[in-house]
Amino acid sequence: MARKKFEEEEIETNLLPVMNVMLLLIPALLLAMEIARMAAIAVSPPKFAATADEKKDEKQEKPLNLKVFIMEDGYRVSASGQQAGAEAGKAADSNAPTIPLAKPGTALDDFDRYDYATLSTEARKYKDLFPHETVVTISAENSIPMQALINTMDAMRGLDCKMMAAMTGEEEVPQECMFWQAIVEAGAG
Amino acid sequence: MTTESEAAFLARKAAKRAGRRGMVEEKAILGMTSLMDAITIIVVYLLKSYGSDPVLIAPTQGQKVPLSQADTPIQDGTPIYVSERAITFMEKRVVQMDETGQVDPAALQGHLIGPLYDLLAEEADKAKQMAEGKGEEWEGRVILVGDQTLKFSVLVDVMYTAGRAEFREYAFAVVQQSG
Repeated sequence: MARKKFEEEEIETNLLPVMNVMLLLIPALLLAMEIARMAAIAVSPPKFAATADEKKDEKQEKPLNLKVFIMEDGYRVSASGQQAGAEAGKAADSNAPTIPLAKPGTALDDFDRYDYATLSTEARKYKDLFPHETVVTISAENSIPMQALINTMDAMRGLDCKMMAAMTGEEEVPQECMFWQAIVEAGAG
Repeated sequence: MTTESEAAFLARKAAKRAGRRGMVEEKAILGMTSLMDAITIIVVYLLKSYGSDPVLIAPTQGQKVPLSQADTPIQDGTPIYVSERAITFMEKRVVQMDETGQVDPAALQGHLIGPLYDLLAEEADKAKQMAEGKGEEWEGRVILVGDQTLKFSVLVDVMYTAGRAEFREYAFAVVQQSG
């Protein structure tokens, strides 16, 4: 008996179920993904700062010990135990801020009230004197909002500082980066 | 439109309709391949962006994460969400804040936030055991997801509590500011 010629049928893939799953995945992933790009600022507690300073003591004769105290009426900047602008030998000239507010009389939640540009310029002066120093101790009055603290850290790190490549080990820390190792201390002045 | 051109238009329409009458209606096939390609590309892109960060930071309702020019990526760690209303850890409201935005005094012993310390210590033990099991060193990093208006005193209390629970490294989560 002669065989019937068998014709191969072309079967079309039914893509509808796959499409359904894909279309459900899109809104689910859109909801889960972050809309804003997040980053992190590494901070150290004072305990570890002391160890870091001790290590540096061996290499450097005079540590900078740069401290920035955020007050409600401005910044008090001090280095090597002496407040900026104070007479030599005096720990602190007065309780008056070294860098007064850029916008005096504004509320605490106005985060532009501080003079970040002047602080950054001041940090640059210290960095030029101590090029290897990267640590800054930042403290604040209890009522200071976190955004002001973060902006202060940004100003001390350098407003044009980009650390991404340095953190991944691709490059060295750029020249624009000044005091990028922040120590957050409670109640320091 | 004049009546003559209108009549001509209607005549053309009628002729077309008459021509279609004898035609067999074709079954329309929906071309899915190009759509599938586009959707696959979107899904792959979204999956890639979803999986690029080691920790997914999802701020709590009403929380405004501070803005910064920092560009350092977030490293793996334990997130603590501190807003003006509450401290949230592991999707659980641990401590309520009072109306001034300070930690509820009942939960505070000096700088130590009791309920947060208990949970952090438990989490630290678990994480240490897991790291030991993997043969790795426990980094003990805590990621503080704060609020723009969060008071410095609260931040210090949270950091102190995390330190007491043996967390050694701290990072502030920020929203990267463009420019």
